[in-house]
Amino acid sequence: MTVSVYEEIAFWILGPLSLAGALGMLFSRSAVHSALWLVLTMLSLGVLYMVQDAPFLGIVQIIVYTGAIMMLFLFVLMLAGRESSDSVVEVLRGQRIWASLLGIGLAGLVVAGVARSLGDVTPAGLDNPAANGSGGPGNVANIGQSLFTRYLFPFELTSALLITAAIGAMVLAYTRKQAKGGKNRQREMVNMRFRENTRPGALPGPGVFATADSVATPALLPDGSIAKESLSRIIETTPVTQIEEDEALADRHPDAHALTGAARDGDDGASIVASPASEERSE
Amino acid sequence: MSARELIANDPTWLSLVKAVLVFALLLVITILLIWFERRVLGRMQQRPGPNRVGPFGLLQTVADALKLAFKEDIRPKLADNWVYFLAPAISAGAAFLAFSVIPLGGQVNLFGYQTSLQLADMPVSLLVVLACSSVGVYGIVLGGWSSGSPYPLLGALRSAAQVISYEIAMGLSFVAVILFAGSLSTGDIVDAQGQGGVWYAFLLPVSFVIYVISMVGETNRAPFDLAEAESELIGGYHTEYSSIKFAMFFLGEYVNMVTVSAVATTLFLGGWHAPFWLGGVGGGVLNTGWWPLLWFLLKVVFMLFIFVWLRGALPRMRYDQFMKLGWKVLVPVNLVWIVAVVAVRTMRNTGVGTAQLLTIIGIVVVVVLAIVLLLPNRPAASDVEEVPVTGGDHPLPPLDLEVPKVPKRKPVAAAPAPELSAEEEGVPDGRA
Amino acid sequence: MEYVPILLLFVLGFGFAVFSVTIAEVTGPRRFNKAKQEGYECGIEPSPQPVVGGGRMPVAYYLTAMLFILFDIEMVFLYPFAVTADALGVFGLVEIVLFIATVAFAYAYVWRRGGLDWN
Repeated sequence: MTVSVYEEIAFWILGPLSLAGALGMLFSRSAVHSALWLVLTMLSLGVLYMVQDAPFLGIVQIIVYTGAIMMLFLFVLMLAGRESSDSVVEVLRGQRIWASLLGIGLAGLVVAGVARSLGDVTPAGLDNPAANGSGGPGNVANIGQSLFTRYLFPFELTSALLITAAIGAMVLAYTRKQAKGGKNRQREMVNMRFRENTRPGALPGPGVFATADSVATPALLPDGSIAKESLSRIIETTPVTQIEEDEALADRHPDAHALTGAARDGDDGASIVASPASEERSE
Repeated sequence: MSARELIANDPTWLSLVKAVLVFALLLVITILLIWFERRVLGRMQQRPGPNRVGPFGLLQTVADALKLAFKEDIRPKLADNWVYFLAPAISAGAAFLAFSVIPLGGQVNLFGYQTSLQLADMPVSLLVVLACSSVGVYGIVLGGWSSGSPYPLLGALRSAAQVISYEIAMGLSFVAVILFAGSLSTGDIVDAQGQGGVWYAFLLPVSFVIYVISMVGETNRAPFDLAEAESELIGGYHTEYSSIKFAMFFLGEYVNMVTVSAVATTLFLGGWHAPFWLGGVGGGVLNTGWWPLLWFLLKVVFMLFIFVWLRGALPRMRYDQFMKLGWKVLVPVNLVWIVAVVAVRTMRNTGVGTAQLLTIIGIVVVVVLAIVLLLPNRPAASDVEEVPVTGGDHPLPPLDLEVPKVPKRKPVAAAPAPELSAEEEGVPDGRA
Repeated sequence: MEYVPILLLFVLGFGFAVFSVTIAEVTGPRRFNKAKQEGYECGIEPSPQPVVGGGRMPVAYYLTAMLFILFDIEMVFLYPFAVTADALGVFGLVEIVLFIATVAFAYAYVWRRGGLDWN
């Protein structure tokens, strides 16, 4: 078996990279950074496979492992929140002992497999048309031929595994709330909004004027009166007294100069004409 | 010679030249695409669009890009430094990479070498596109996460969930094409369409439609841009980004658009082959030399126009509707379609004649229809709070309304108008 | 060897992106203030915990990612099948119908339990 120059260069670049990824995964503090280092390892492995004449395996490694599985990891880490730290309490009894035993066992299996492949197996080459008697062209066809004839049973078992995964995910993620009678769905919320028939659209935004650009500034209606809906009570920086003052002003002061301050002080009441619109709002 | 064999003979310097050309082509197309989109949208919305910088406003994008380069680069205090820096680069880099396997044309003479107008081809090139798009999702997720702010994180999760959902529909729509072409290599797929003479868009219309829908969802474009609905929400996953970093996300999105359009061209629209009514002109001279590049670009522009058209014509979908479309419509339809195509093809291969085939299809359709019709209808759940379509609080005219005839008008003599106050005149708002 | 062109484009594209992102720190003006460097929350004070909802996200995202893995694997198995389908003949057809039906069973289960519903 000969190793081409390109392959050797690729190995000496990608090997250290994947190792660095693995070490980074172990030693980084943030869980998301760990996941990212692991992504680096997966990507390097994928490219290594491709360089070693297994393009399908390599690209599938990238699509499935980096694209899907690591994405699930990231999602889960983000679900848990950024600040959450690793729990050091053993939830399952004897988890560490079992984990180390199984880890060592797996390592033994892998080493044995690699040792065997280095010793008494003659490589047929994944690209070789005669590799498995398919006579088909190229790598993908060979894999297909092997997968769907010789390894048919494991292949069909995979689908059983997929079912288990789906059911497991459902059992983990399923809550009563997601069934009926819980929070309203988007559809029901839209229906409700139109049924109540008050204001299907968005509330008016804050006013932005030459005098102020704060979100606490009330917006003005075309006639100059304050649009009451634009006053928001959830803005923490606005004092409650200020909002109450503005609301009171909105109820009975449709004055074009409401914001200049003059009208606010000179509250003579003579110019007040209660408009139908503002009456409706104050109800 | 197939494209793969031609490309395998390329010396490294020629590959480098091609890579630079592809890179430049993508940049130029992106620049023109943004201009094109704004002009076409402007036309659809009865306004001129950008028309100040350069002839027809062509240089508007260049001006915008230069401006962005000199904008302040703000990094939020809570941002995760390295990831915040890396995310836009991943987004743009992955988008560029996907284009490497697209065949732009057939055999040409480039600097004295007979080669194919395609940067790279391998037995699994189609999967490279998928791999790049799954790596590109990291740009979105990490960009949102690393900003250290709730809105980008929410936008990122939504965008990512959307992209991965539609990636399934997209990947499944490839299967029927691969079945017919018998290869995952993009060059072979184009050749297969050239030899068969039929574009797969016509042969496999269901796959094509599903692909077009999922490519819009995959690129986060209107009407599926709900995670970054710029007119309703703030920006989505790139809210905290500014200056060139923001531009990189933008570039990634537009290069992705070009790539998925090019993939649509390659898989379904005959790739670089001349439209079939021109294929026979001059003994197929339009399919040789540099002509294919023209056809390829025209087809890509056509797909890009569809993107813009959809944006101009359709309102944005709601998130639950969008996910429902992806998971409950596109995926099952795709699976059923794949099984049907495999079944029909297998039967043809085993020597079943057309008449027999049609009979079998007819029987299957009848059986399925019978099962569907015989299944008992589930009683519709009565919704006590259902909103009536008419007769609610909205002032709707009754359905049997007869419009009374308009009485004839008499010419009014110039009488002095009575002095009516605002209320009496019925002006809705009494403010003077 | 086949991958050299892809590597070249990767270097070009990724290099361009990294270069642009780096250069942004140099070319732009640097007039920071406290408000600019805070997270954007529509003008109100940024929440101290940068995650909404008490640091938790809807679990539906997890489910979507899980389903994505499931269908990704199915998809990946369908590609070599599509390439070899002609050689496998009727045998292949039966196999793939069995496979798709099994996965469809899981899919139907998730659908029935409401795993595909968003609210």
